[in-house]
Amino acid sequence: MKLYIKLAILTFGILLSSCEDPISVDLNDAPPRLVIEASLDLQKGTQGNDQTIQLSLSSPFFDNDTDTAVTGASVVVTNTDTNEVFSFADQNDGRYTTSVFNPIINNNYELEVIYNGEVYMASEKLMSVSEIKRVEQSFEGGFDEEVLDVSIFFDDPEDEENYYFVRLDEEDNFPTLEAFKDEFINGNEIDVFFENDEDEDDPNAEFNPGDTVDITLYGISKQYYNYLYLLIEQYDSGGDPFSPTPARIKGNCINVNNSDNYAFGYFRVTEFDTVSYTFE
Amino acid sequence: MTKNILIGTLLLFCTQILAQEKYSISGYVKDQVNGETVLGATVYLKGTTIGSITNEYGFFSITAPKGTYELTVSYVGYQEVTNTITLDANQSMNFEITEASTTLKEVLIVAEKPERTNIKSPQMGVFKLKAATIKKMPAVLGEVDLIKSIQMLPGVTNNGEGTAGFNVRGGAADQNLVLLDEAIIYNTSHFFGFFSVFNQDAIKDIKLYKGDMPANFGGRVSSVLDVRQKDGNSKNFGLTGGLGIISSRAAAEGPLFGDKGSFLVAGRASYAHLLTKGIKDLKDDKVSFYDLNLKTNYEINKDNRVYLSGYFGRDIFNINKIVKNNYGNASGNLRWNHVFNDKLFSNLSLIYSKYDYQLILEFIKLDWNADIKNYNLKYDLGYYANENLKIDFGVNGILYRLNPGEVRPTADNSAINYLKLDQKRAFEGGAYASVEHKLTPKLTARYGMRYSTFSRLGGQNMVNYVNDQPVVYNSELGIYEEGIAESETTFKKGETIKNFGNLEPRFGISYQLNESSSVKASYTRASQYLHLLSNTSSVTPLDVWAPSGKYIKPQLSNQYAVGYYKNFKDDTYSIEVESYYKTVDNRIDYVDGSDIIGTNTIETEILNGEARAYGLEFLLRKNKGKFTGWLAYTISKSEQRSLGGNAGGPGINDGKWYNTPYDRTHDFSATGAYKLTDKWNLSANLVFQTGRPVTYPNGQYEYEGLSIASYSDRNADRLPAYHRLDISATYKPNNKPNKRWKGEWVFGIYNVYNRRNAASISFNQNMDNGQNEATRTAIFGIIPSITYNFKF
Repeated sequence: MKLYIKLAILTFGILLSSCEDPISVDLNDAPPRLVIEASLDLQKGTQGNDQTIQLSLSSPFFDNDTDTAVTGASVVVTNTDTNEVFSFADQNDGRYTTSVFNPIINNNYELEVIYNGEVYMASEKLMSVSEIKRVEQSFEGGFDEEVLDVSIFFDDPEDEENYYFVRLDEEDNFPTLEAFKDEFINGNEIDVFFENDEDEDDPNAEFNPGDTVDITLYGISKQYYNYLYLLIEQYDSGGDPFSPTPARIKGNCINVNNSDNYAFGYFRVTEFDTVSYTFE
Repeated sequence: MTKNILIGTLLLFCTQILAQEKYSISGYVKDQVNGETVLGATVYLKGTTIGSITNEYGFFSITAPKGTYELTVSYVGYQEVTNTITLDANQSMNFEITEASTTLKEVLIVAEKPERTNIKSPQMGVFKLKAATIKKMPAVLGEVDLIKSIQMLPGVTNNGEGTAGFNVRGGAADQNLVLLDEAIIYNTSHFFGFFSVFNQDAIKDIKLYKGDMPANFGGRVSSVLDVRQKDGNSKNFGLTGGLGIISSRAAAEGPLFGDKGSFLVAGRASYAHLLTKGIKDLKDDKVSFYDLNLKTNYEINKDNRVYLSGYFGRDIFNINKIVKNNYGNASGNLRWNHVFNDKLFSNLSLIYSKYDYQLILEFIKLDWNADIKNYNLKYDLGYYANENLKIDFGVNGILYRLNPGEVRPTADNSAINYLKLDQKRAFEGGAYASVEHKLTPKLTARYGMRYSTFSRLGGQNMVNYVNDQPVVYNSELGIYEEGIAESETTFKKGETIKNFGNLEPRFGISYQLNESSSVKASYTRASQYLHLLSNTSSVTPLDVWAPSGKYIKPQLSNQYAVGYYKNFKDDTYSIEVESYYKTVDNRIDYVDGSDIIGTNTIETEILNGEARAYGLEFLLRKNKGKFTGWLAYTISKSEQRSLGGNAGGPGINDGKWYNTPYDRTHDFSATGAYKLTDKWNLSANLVFQTGRPVTYPNGQYEYEGLSIASYSDRNADRLPAYHRLDISATYKPNNKPNKRWKGEWVFGIYNVYNRRNAASISFNQNMDNGQNEATRTAIFGIIPSITYNFKF
C-alpha cells in the first residue's frame, strides 16, 4: 500500500517528465564485490530438486561489456534441521547447480560460499505461500482506464504477518518486480495488478490481446522483504527527489573473514505459485 | 524559579527609573495615504541619542528629560517628518508619514530615507523586506514569491526548483518558524514548491531572523520568518489586483466604522487546467490552488485596538480521476493591543493554525488523511523603561493535536482495512524576557532569556521495546533493524508521557566604531520540539510532523555569530559581513532503507544525531539612487552525523560526518532594480550555487534479471552547479495623478540563457536496451511571462 502512496506522490513527476534528458555523469567506481544470487525456490506441487545459484562480480555502473561470471567457487547448502548437505556443481559460467535439493517448508537452510579464500555465509527459512486463485484482465483496475491490466488474486492468512514478492515476466521485456506485506490488508483477498504505460510511439508498450505474461507469487521472509523492498524501490526511483536518499543495500550473505567485504545479493528459500496468462 | 528571576529583574529596573524626573511620549506611526501602521520606523529626538523603533503594531515610546525637542520620524522609502515637541508631561501623539514615490521627486531624493543598515541595534542576522521590494524582483511565471525572494539573501538557499521551503544557514526546512500574523504556517508552498502561499497583495512586510532570534520567538532552531499582513486601508476604499499567467489576484480594502477600523480581503486563484492542458496524458486532470487572506481591525479607544486576521489556502490535484489530493493551511488570529500607559504596551493573541492533507487513491479504494493543528495563547509586553532601556517580556502556551494518518476504505469491496495511526497531543509553553540596554552611547547590549517547556500528553499507547531499543543494530548483517516491541503502556488523557524544559539564553552586543560602522556579536540557544519527518531529499506535502517524546528528543541549537557593518557614501552603500558557527543536538536522521509512510512507530526508523554548520556571509547593498540592489555571497559548510548510540553499531554512514542536503559551499546572488524612466523600471536576478549533495551509484550488479545500482556514501556526490539569470521590466503607462485607476505591466523572462539546472539526476536501466543511463530532470527552462497589475 505504501508503494501506491508513493506512486501517488510520483504522479506529480508526470508533470515534469517533459523536462528530462539524458546526461553524462562521472562516477566513482567501487572495487568489484562478489554477488550471490542464491534463490532456491520451490514451485507448489513440485519436488524442487533442480536448483541454480548464480555468482558474479559487480562492475562500474555504466559498464556493460565486462564478463562478470565467477568460477572456481565452492557452493554448499545445508538443511540445518535435517543436516542434509547439498553441494552445487560449478558450471564454469557463473552457475552452480544441483539436482537433488530437498526443500521442506519451514525448515532452515544455510549457504556457504568459499571464493578467493574467503568464506561467505547466509541462512534463511523456507517460507510457504498461498495459491493464486485466479487471474483477471480488465480496463478498470489500474491507473489508466484506456489500457489493459492484469490482476492475480489470492487469500492472505489472517493469523500471521505475511510478506510477498511478485514477479511478472513478459517476452522480450525486463521483469517487473513488486514486494509488499499484508499491513492494511491482513486476512483479506488480495489482488495485485500490473499495467504497462501507454506509449504513443510504441503500440506494443501496453498489454495487448495475444500477449502472454507469467506471474509468480513468492512467500518470503520479513528480512528478505526488507531487502527486496529497498532494492526494488531504489531500482524504480533511481534517486529521484521524491524518494528516500539511496542507500547501500546489504543482503544476508556475510563475509566471515572480513565483514567489510560482504557480498551483494541474497540467499532466499521460498515457495512460489505461478500462472501464465494470455490476454484476450 | 525562573519566573521569580524575571520579576526580580523587572522590579530592579522599575525602581531605577523612578529616581529620575523624566517624561514620555508614545504613540503610533502610520502611513498618511492608507492609514497602515508602520513597523520598524525610527522615532528619535534630534541632537540626542534618544530614540525608539516602532514595534509590530507601529507603537513607539520615548522617555527623555523635560525640555523642547525636534522629534523626527523616518522610515525606509518615506519622507522624514520632524515636529517640535515640548516634553513637560507624559503624552501620546500619532504621526503620519508619506511614501516618497507619491510626492514630487525633487523633494524626495533629498528627504527619502534609504534602506540602510541599522548599525546601532545589537540585533544581528536580520533582514527586513517590504512587499514593494519583493514585487520589484523578477519572478518565475510572473508569480511574485516571498520565499524565492529571501533566497537571494546571503545564507538562505533552497533544495532546488520545485521543492518546498527554504534553508537558512545550513538548516533544514522544518527548522524555520514561519509566521503569518503570528500563526504558524506548516507548509509554505503551493504546487509542490513552485509558488509560495503568501499573496503579495495581502503582505505588508517580512522579517527574516537568520539565527539571532529575539527571545519572544521559540520552537524552531534555525530561523524565524515573520510575515505581517496589511491592516487594510483605513482612509479610502481601494481595489488592487493582477492578472498573470498562472493565477489572478484581487484585494479589497477600506475603512470600517468611520475612521475607527479597516479591513482587507485578498484572494488569489490559479487557472485550473492551464498547466496540464498541453500534456495529452493529463488532459482530464485538474491542478490548482487558491488563497484567501483576511484582516480587520477596530480601534476601541486610544489605548485599545483589536485585530482579526485569517488565512486559508488550498492545493488541489485530481489526476486521471483516480488520484485525488488536496492540502493546505488555515490560520486565524484574534489580537488585542492595550496601552497601559506611555511606557507599557501589551498584546494578547489567540491564534489557531492547521495544516491538513488528504489523498484518495480510487484504484485501490483508499482514503488517507493527516493533519496538525494548534491553539496558541500569547501575551507579550513591551516596557520602555527609560532612554537607555527597553524590556520585552511575555508568556505563551501552544496546544498541539497531531493526526499523523488515518486510512479509510472508500468502498465496501476495498481490500483496505481501516487504520488510524496514534493521535498525538502536546503542550509547548514559553516565558521570556529580553532587555535592550544602551550601556554607553556606543555600546548597546541585549540580554534575553527564554524558558521553554514541552509536555507530550497522554491519550495514546506507547510501545516499549526490548532493552529499550526501538532500533537495533544487526551486527551480523551490518544493518539497522526495527526493535522488538515487548509491551505497550497506556497513557490516559490527563497524564503526561514525557516532559522537557530548556533555558534558552539570547545575547547580543553592538559596539559603534564611528558614525557609520559597528561590530556586533551574538549568542543564541534555541530548542525545537516538533520535527518534520522526511527521508526524501525534497520536502513533500505528505510529510508529517512528529512531536518530541519518549524516543525523539528535542533539537537544541547553539549559534555564535560576529559581524561588521558599515554604511558609506552618505548611506548610498552599506556592507555587512557576518560569520556564524552553529551546532544542533538531537537532529534525527533515517536509517538506510527507512520507511516512514504510514509507520506508527517512527522511532524504529531513526537515529538521534547531531548537525553543525559554519559560514561567512557578505552583503553589499546599494540603497538609493536610480539603481538599487545587492550582491550577496556566502561560503559555508553544513554536515551531520548520526552515531549508533543506544541502538549499537557505528551509526548512519558508518558514523562519519556527511553533508546535509542543504550544504552549499558557494552561494552567490545579485539582484538589482534600475529606474530607466518614469514609465520603465528594469530589474534582474543572478544566482550561482554549488550543487546539492546527493548520493550517486558507484557500481552495478545483476539480480533478478535487472541491473541493480550500488550506492556510495550518503550525500558524497553533488549535482552540477546551479545558476541562472532572470530579468523583468515594469511599464507604467502615463498614470495621471488624479486618475483612480492605476495599472502596470510586468514583463519577465526567467532563466534567460535557458540553463538546464538539474533538479535531480536519476540513474536507471533503459527498458529498451538494458543499458544503465543517467537522466537529468530540469524543471524551468527559459520562461517568459506577462502580468498586469492594477490599483483602483
